[in-house]
Amino acid sequence: MQHYSPAVERVLDHMSEVRGGKLDLSWMNSNPGGWGVRATPRDERGLGLEDLNQVGIYGEVPDHGGEHGSMAPRGAEVPADTPALGCYDINDKSLVWADNVALLYDEAVARQWSSARDVPWDKLKPLPDDLEKAMCQLCTGLTEVEFIAGDMPAKWMWHINHDFHEVKCFLATQIADEARHLEVFRKRALANGGGLLKASPGSEQLLRAIIEAPDYTTASSLMHILAEGFVLTLFRNGEMLALSEVEKKIFRLCMQDEARHVAYGTMHLKYFLEKHPERAEDIHEILRHGEEAIFGLSMEPQTSEPRAILAGGGVDHIFEGMAKLGYLYTKQVREYLHRLKVAGLDRSSRLAIPLELPS
Amino acid sequence: MLFPSVEWFQALCNAANANPERFRRLGTVDLVLVAKIDYPHQSRLFEIVFSGYHCAGVREVSSTRAAREGAVILEGPFEAWKEMVANIKANGQADLAHTLNTLTLYDTPMRVWAESQLDTDLFYRYQQNLQEFFDSASHFETEFAGPEATSVYN
Repeated sequence: MQHYSPAVERVLDHMSEVRGGKLDLSWMNSNPGGWGVRATPRDERGLGLEDLNQVGIYGEVPDHGGEHGSMAPRGAEVPADTPALGCYDINDKSLVWADNVALLYDEAVARQWSSARDVPWDKLKPLPDDLEKAMCQLCTGLTEVEFIAGDMPAKWMWHINHDFHEVKCFLATQIADEARHLEVFRKRALANGGGLLKASPGSEQLLRAIIEAPDYTTASSLMHILAEGFVLTLFRNGEMLALSEVEKKIFRLCMQDEARHVAYGTMHLKYFLEKHPERAEDIHEILRHGEEAIFGLSMEPQTSEPRAILAGGGVDHIFEGMAKLGYLYTKQVREYLHRLKVAGLDRSSRLAIPLELPS
Repeated sequence: MLFPSVEWFQALCNAANANPERFRRLGTVDLVLVAKIDYPHQSRLFEIVFSGYHCAGVREVSSTRAAREGAVILEGPFEAWKEMVANIKANGQADLAHTLNTLTLYDTPMRVWAESQLDTDLFYRYQQNLQEFFDSASHFETEFAGPEATSVYN
């Protein structure tokens, strides 16, 4: 006869009792306050996460997450002997929340796309070497930086109290988005006779600042608002500089995802600063550091020159391209400042980088 | 179909709503977009409401202030609109130089703005849907109304 561990033996004993008719069924009487709800879709888009927050106790997001420290779902009855997992140390709602986060999750789920299926790869055409190299370098840089927005949420997600599942779900969609961005830019670099070109030491400085940010909100401010805000303009620029329908579609679809991430970051910072106005200086300081890093990165040759070549229409017209990019830089910075203003942070007089590039 | 007119924008709405599977695949859109067509001495404004997978309605409004809260304004001179629509008709969709993003990125010949940057960002967030929405103008004939065209508010 086979011998099992005591733990397995206990389960087998219990199963034997059940077979003998001894049922528990106490769970059927648990959580009476949470029974009898009927979540309904707000419209034809289907039953969203946000819709669940309209019913009874399930929509009550606590200011402080449950102290049980387990993965028990918010709104369920949690038995007293439920063991804590010991990893959830971001327990204050204000440290992660944004009022739009459940809606953004619903939107993200509805707007997923496939880089294999939704990009018309058959429309790629041979290009002059300078243009193909410029596009490949642009894609090399984006392949390098995009997954920071996967690594950063991954670093913090398992610290976030399970009662804020909306935030965790949204960040999970962001990780999926960034995986897609990484692969789609890598695909474009490898799909038209070119390849990956030169990596960017300048990028690593910014990426390090995001990864090493001391807490979630400073990391989010750096990444969601500063970095992704700048990349959002870069994607808009990429769409304009597209050499075929392939790049048009890639940049347009990535732009949509990026704007969603920026919307979360902006509204999170707003929520955070409303609860912790005394932390504004910390945010200023991390953004100052980030602005300097992103400025250095933006001016690095492997970042700026390919865009100037694409904007000018070839390496012979690179200076015309540079002049065009100057306008976009100012627009990029202004939009960044406006987003911070929406979040309640005025950096217009404290910006660490020029508002306009020297002509 | 006369451009600009409520009927013209409604035709775009109808095209979107007639192809629910296409727009379901692109994803939900929650946006109030005001198309503002500028003539030398007047403008005409059309408010287009998107909700979920549908275009929920079109109406002409007298000014940007008369539009719903949070409206995103897509504006440009009549000639720029005309060129965009004609390009869509000629190519079956906007060519590389006439996409909404390309026309607005440098704030000329067209511009996009809203009271809040987060609302402006909606234009970027729903870009593929908006492009396909306007690309459906390729499905019908458009006649262009000149500056003498009158708004219901004139």
